[in-house]
Amino acid sequence: MASKRAPILGNKEDTNFNEALKLYDSKQYKKALKLVDANLKKNSSHAASLTLKGCINYYIGNKPEAESYIVKGLTKGENNYIVNHLAGIYYRAVENYTDAAKWLKAAIDNGSPNKQILRDLSNLQVHIRDYKSLVSSRQGYLEFQPGYRANWTGTAIALHLNKNYKGAISTLTKIESIIKEHLQDQDMYEQSECLLYKNDIIFQSGDVQKALETLEDDKPFIKDMLSFLEYKAKYLMVLGRTQESSIVYRQLIQRNPDNIEYYKQLEICLNIFEKPLSSRIKLYENLNKFYPKADPPKYLPMMFIPSSHPAFKEKAQNYILGQLKKGVPASFVNIKPILKNPKKLKIIEEIVASFFENALSNYDPTIKVWGLYFLSQLSLYQKDLATATKYIDTALEHSPTLVELYILKARILKHYKKYEAAAQIMDEGRQLDLQDRFVNSKATKYYLRANEIDKAVDLISLFTKLDKDAVNGCKDLHTMQANWFITESAEAYKRLYHQYEEELASIEKTPENEEIIGSLHDKIETYKGLALKRYTAVVKIFDIFFNDQFDFHFYCLRRGTPRDYIKTLQWEDTIHSTPIYVRVIKGLSEIYLEIYKEQQQKKAVEGEDDGTTVIKKNNKKNKKAKAQSLKKKESLIAKVESEKDDADPLGTKLLSDLVNNAHGNIIDNLLKLSQPLLNEAKDYQFNWELSFKLNLIKSKYVLSLQAIKNLNSILSLRGRITSKIPQIEQLVTELGEAVSKDESVNEAIKKVVKMGLSASLSDYKEAYEPYLN
Amino acid sequence: MARSITSLDDVTANNLGTFKKINQVSLPTSYSEAWYKEALNSDQIVKLAFFSELPVGGVKAKPLNLSSDLATFDSAVGAKLVPKMVPNVVYIETLAVLTAYQNLGVGKQLLDHVIDQTKQKYIHDVCVHVHVTNTHALEWYEKHGFEQKSLVKDYYKLQGLESPDAYLLYLKV
Repeated sequence: MASKRAPILGNKEDTNFNEALKLYDSKQYKKALKLVDANLKKNSSHAASLTLKGCINYYIGNKPEAESYIVKGLTKGENNYIVNHLAGIYYRAVENYTDAAKWLKAAIDNGSPNKQILRDLSNLQVHIRDYKSLVSSRQGYLEFQPGYRANWTGTAIALHLNKNYKGAISTLTKIESIIKEHLQDQDMYEQSECLLYKNDIIFQSGDVQKALETLEDDKPFIKDMLSFLEYKAKYLMVLGRTQESSIVYRQLIQRNPDNIEYYKQLEICLNIFEKPLSSRIKLYENLNKFYPKADPPKYLPMMFIPSSHPAFKEKAQNYILGQLKKGVPASFVNIKPILKNPKKLKIIEEIVASFFENALSNYDPTIKVWGLYFLSQLSLYQKDLATATKYIDTALEHSPTLVELYILKARILKHYKKYEAAAQIMDEGRQLDLQDRFVNSKATKYYLRANEIDKAVDLISLFTKLDKDAVNGCKDLHTMQANWFITESAEAYKRLYHQYEEELASIEKTPENEEIIGSLHDKIETYKGLALKRYTAVVKIFDIFFNDQFDFHFYCLRRGTPRDYIKTLQWEDTIHSTPIYVRVIKGLSEIYLEIYKEQQQKKAVEGEDDGTTVIKKNNKKNKKAKAQSLKKKESLIAKVESEKDDADPLGTKLLSDLVNNAHGNIIDNLLKLSQPLLNEAKDYQFNWELSFKLNLIKSKYVLSLQAIKNLNSILSLRGRITSKIPQIEQLVTELGEAVSKDESVNEAIKKVVKMGLSASLSDYKEAYEPYLN
Repeated sequence: MARSITSLDDVTANNLGTFKKINQVSLPTSYSEAWYKEALNSDQIVKLAFFSELPVGGVKAKPLNLSSDLATFDSAVGAKLVPKMVPNVVYIETLAVLTAYQNLGVGKQLLDHVIDQTKQKYIHDVCVHVHVTNTHALEWYEKHGFEQKSLVKDYYKLQGLESPDAYLLYLKV
């Protein structure tokens, strides 16, 4: 908090302020505020008092006013470190971490003697990924408090994040030698983690031999033997000592025979690919003898043995029939990756069919139903819906109490696009066992797909916490961050308003239809708002996901778990590539672009006439209708409210803000929303399509070109295509046309675009040539 | 001890749907929601049977006094033990096993449970109505010691079944 050694006090205000600061530190906000106000009465530009008032305002709940005081304080006393520090505290509290870091840094630079600031600052810097500045604040804090291991580890992490491996290693080694004599029992796990962390850094620095030697030396202190073995095996392999490495991998398989990764590494060590297939098969037969209960020794051979080899059929038969005879529900899912090979799929189909015809009578009835379940899934996989239906119907007749069958039947109906029927079947399965959370969620999802939102919410509410005064679990689902539910709801609302829009378009605009048109407009607005509201909720949840790491920047250092901490940082750096997030941005972008298009059309129409086509509203009738719809709205709000006392439960404001903004802003907002995707989810086709579209609208042709290039490389890789891709051709044409039409565009930009196209998309010369000459 | 492939378990509010499903697909008669709710009462003898952990059969029986009106399906299903009357017979309302899982001992296990419960209540009679055309069930009950006592005319009339008569079968335990 604030400094203990206050600056030399020149006047009464400063004495008063100091008193106020003490009160503020002990959370006596009201008393502190009194003093600060007295100060400001005398000297309205006393910077420190202004800033402190901002902080107090924030903590007593007067949040909207807080920032203006902070800003005022900063303009009056930009170089006052107390002002800087308070501003930093304020911005951290409102989760504006960039500004918080900026002002804490300023506090240090302006000579604050309070070294604790360095610790807070370093947490902020790592949070905003300002690794460069991080090093000096961590080092500064270490010099101030060298007695804690956490501070040494923190410095090493900062150096490591800057890829200064040498520095990180020497920092860790130094504290190790200092602490060696003082280690207690409770420090031993931290010691082990730190040793392994250092070891990983040595490996990353490229000195594998050294890493291996250090690992062996440190072995007595290492608690995590799994990591020890994994590191050792990896190092030996990289060093080319494959014989020794293979022994360690065999040890690892012994520890956990179900980890496929170890088998793959073992194969590499044994150089199995250069030996005949028979020895590879033999290897797995032996492994299977050692670990008869493990899956990989049976499963992996089916992946690598070609379908033409007689052993494939034998292995597949043993594997699949072995599971079917035991009635393993996941039999199909287990072999799904193998089905990518159509010849293998054929063989597997024959195996199961022949088992079904010849041997079934020897087994109890459940085997038949699991077999039918398998065959139905196999048909569904091949998109043969009729056969899938035939199998699943037989199974349902045979064992109508098996929930899995209903789930599969519903899935097949979904593929037929019969969403209502699918939801009903799922619900039928759900009713067999009301405690089954999985099928309850599935039924909810299927009702949402069928646009029956109320029913869906009622179902899922059976498993949510019911908040006080809540009619359903909608709020709880938001608190619990149930992204799947929120996203599916958003999509359902979107389908609904699209449906009403179509209806509206098909209705004649006559005075008799006025009422219907009015109610349709109402519905469209409500559902559009709700769709926006739900999508935005997921975006917010991802912000929370990211900010959740804040506490760990300090906590992990103290706990001494640097390896997991680094992993957490890496994971947080790519959370926006989570498929559900991409899906949300896609949905959101469609709504944004719709609104943008409407605005463009409106603009065009307004140019021609003055918009008198709007039907005049009958006031008397409307009043009554309005009262009625208000009542309806209240009950709707109770059902859809996503947080307590939400000021905008229906997303009305969200929508109107979007619609009434100048048209350029929509695109800017969307660009900002989609930016994390471009950084973190580079492999998604959609991201680049969106980036192209938006940048073209903003006349940022070079960025559009960049998007096409990225899209092209994704598509060519995916399909291993060497010929032209129609979609790319289309986009190249669009870009060429836009650039040539745009008279305001700089000649240099034109040149850059043309050069870029001919350099990396020369296959599409015919598409852009006509425009760029 | 190895687990037996068949087993019995209680009917609860959560799996009542399963019990309902088994009756729906196995029996020509239908039962009201209230009747299913009643299955949760403690005086009822109700169980679900599982084969390889899959629910495949169910029974619902209740203790009655012999003076109860069992002349028609509706009166029998609706019959309740009048307070203060001594129960002296256990009446099996439904006993069903999915077709694919018959002849595996599931029905026997359900019946044994009913007999067991009957004995515990110091009752010595178990009775059941069987549709006259259902020779499969008749044979099954006779195989397990039931004796035909009487033919009940028009027992299933209101249910719209063809040949609406039923046999009333008894078992001494």
